[in-house]
Amino acid sequence: MAELAGHLPGLPAESVARETLRFEGWGRRVEVAVPALTDAQTEALAANVRDARDRRLIGRSTGEIVHVLDRAVRSLLDRSNARRRKAEELLPAVTGYDPETVRLGLTSYLKTFREPQLDTFVAEDFSNPAILDCFQPLRKGGYGRAVGPSLIAHVWAGNVPGLPLWSLISGLLVKSASIGKLPSTEPLLAGWFAEAVAEIDPGIAECIGIVWWRGDDERQQALLDAADLVLAYGGSETLEDIRDRVPVTTRFLPFGHKLSFAMVAAAALDSDKADEIARRAAWDVVRYDQHGCYSPHVFYVQRGGTISPRAFANYLGSEIAALAHRFPRRALHASEAARLSVLREDAALAAVLGAIEVAGDDEGKWSVAYAEDDLALAPGGANRTVKVAALDRFVDAMPEIAKYAPFLQTVGVAAPPETLFHLSALLGEAGATRICALGEMTAPEAGWHHDGRFNLLDLVRIVEIERGAEAAAEELADYLD
Amino acid sequence: MDFRDRVVLVTGASRGIGAAIARAFAAEGARVAVNYLASAEAAAGVAAACREAGGDGWPVQADVRDADAVAAMIEGVGAEFGRLDAVVNNAFAGHAFDPASRTPFWELGWEDYDRQMEGTLRASFNVCRAAIPAFARRAKGSIVNLATDLVERPVIPYHAYTTAKAALVAFSRNLAAELGPQGVRVNCVAPGLVYPTDSSRDTPEATMQRIVADTPLRRIATPEDVAGPVLFLASEWSGFMTGQTLYVDGGLVMR
Repeated sequence: MAELAGHLPGLPAESVARETLRFEGWGRRVEVAVPALTDAQTEALAANVRDARDRRLIGRSTGEIVHVLDRAVRSLLDRSNARRRKAEELLPAVTGYDPETVRLGLTSYLKTFREPQLDTFVAEDFSNPAILDCFQPLRKGGYGRAVGPSLIAHVWAGNVPGLPLWSLISGLLVKSASIGKLPSTEPLLAGWFAEAVAEIDPGIAECIGIVWWRGDDERQQALLDAADLVLAYGGSETLEDIRDRVPVTTRFLPFGHKLSFAMVAAAALDSDKADEIARRAAWDVVRYDQHGCYSPHVFYVQRGGTISPRAFANYLGSEIAALAHRFPRRALHASEAARLSVLREDAALAAVLGAIEVAGDDEGKWSVAYAEDDLALAPGGANRTVKVAALDRFVDAMPEIAKYAPFLQTVGVAAPPETLFHLSALLGEAGATRICALGEMTAPEAGWHHDGRFNLLDLVRIVEIERGAEAAAEELADYLD
Repeated sequence: MDFRDRVVLVTGASRGIGAAIARAFAAEGARVAVNYLASAEAAAGVAAACREAGGDGWPVQADVRDADAVAAMIEGVGAEFGRLDAVVNNAFAGHAFDPASRTPFWELGWEDYDRQMEGTLRASFNVCRAAIPAFARRAKGSIVNLATDLVERPVIPYHAYTTAKAALVAFSRNLAAELGPQGVRVNCVAPGLVYPTDSSRDTPEATMQRIVADTPLRRIATPEDVAGPVLFLASEWSGFMTGQTLYVDGGLVMR
């Protein structure tokens, strides 16, 4: 039986047409029936969630909302919970990622949305979180209140399971209704999350609509027209297309494809530390097969340590191979396999010419290219293909890194404190927004500034009561002597 | 390794390591008696997988702690297949490898040790006693007993479990000395933590990462990893080895 995806408060189930998406992998076939709404239904859904927001969400305190979200997330963290079990059973076939990656990924991701982490999330953007609930004194005088959009439209990407939860939760924290468009590659978790919220607090769940359409279908126009703010994830083309469709009075927040990499200082490369550093680096490569915006594609490795960059490349390859026993790479789509094989041929040619050395297994399930003097920061074929580039000084790579300025995001760094801060300044100048430890590239900490932006602050508008307005009001008070 | 026409009994073979061993024997052509305690459906599945892999599989229920049941099982194997070439004592008393919920020594009772001794030592004793006459007919046979590397390096002190396995190692060496002159070899395979199995399902990720960090081959064993050395010890490739223990833990224990 097909798994029903989406969340459509107020729309009679029998009135909703469905399309079936089929997935197969890890010994299982899964059919997902996604909702295919008419424009009128999308408009009705928008009216429903907007109305629910007015009646059941804006009167609640952010603290109460955090508490509800925490309980919903808690239920999905509980491995005996029916919905969690379903996620562990179905998501490997749906996403292609192996069951262990899915299981560990779900926990590591969901645990960043517990109550203390959500409080951090709010506090990161609002020094006084009460400003989301009522007018609060402002430093300049007067009073201010942060008001979320009435309705946020989300266009989600599905490269990593669960991605939609970020923006969905952000929307709820600023008390906005949301309608999200499911990615065809992972159309389930967002709906399950909405169901989990519904079990705990039906009122809040009524403010969440989750829909689907394929790619750049015309159907998105009805949603884009209805929303006050549009949040979209995807490649440049997708984002440009959406930008062109968003009404000029509607705010548009695009999250495009990103490029991430890593840097390993000579100080990290002695005989005691190098293999541990390589193990953490391998984890960053293997987790989600480099499909996350935060996944590394190039490792810049400094010469001068006891362990040479070439030896580090060997360590890295061995660790990636060892991890593959427990976390096998997902089966590639034909287009990915073709791209990888072209890249492999290019690499083989470059190796013949002596520009690089390539290590990898016979079936092409991973490869590490080692380059003595090629500092280009080119995104590779992902799917566990990386380049290790040797250098004497990290600044030597900066011109190459700067070429990708608008796309830079995470840099995994293994370096002593002084180098860490020095490098971070350079990388920040170049365009990177997140510096993290190796081994943690794929698990941003709670409250991180996604692509260097404010997750919640970017969503709201501040309503101000000026000092003069209050003074003028005082003159009209009935208690005046 | 060619096990065509050879008959192998694997105890506790309906799941986990036992199932992987049964399938690996079958893939080399063996006829495998798939012993199970309660999971009839799973055992039937393993037997079917054995047939698909190119050998033969036959599910056979017996509580290996019960000498009469074991005698009946060995008789049944004889009736079904007409011979017996190797026995793998893999069954053991259920044990959860979860360091957080393990019982500290001062809260254990002797009955906890008893339970593991029953599941490990008594079970192997029963199977070996019953199998020896079948081996004697051709003055040839191989017994492989599943121990654990915790015997050498108790990374986590699972007292009763590991003590029973240590007893099994000593039991195997004595038996090797006794049965060598009759052409029967007795060896042990001692895996490290094997994942995933029903027993290791709750082993926390942090524990696994700790073990991986200390393991030269940098990963946790899979059930399939254990099968190779078991097949080797059951085959003629190891014809001049007896009383030995092979550690299958990526080099965590070296001796």
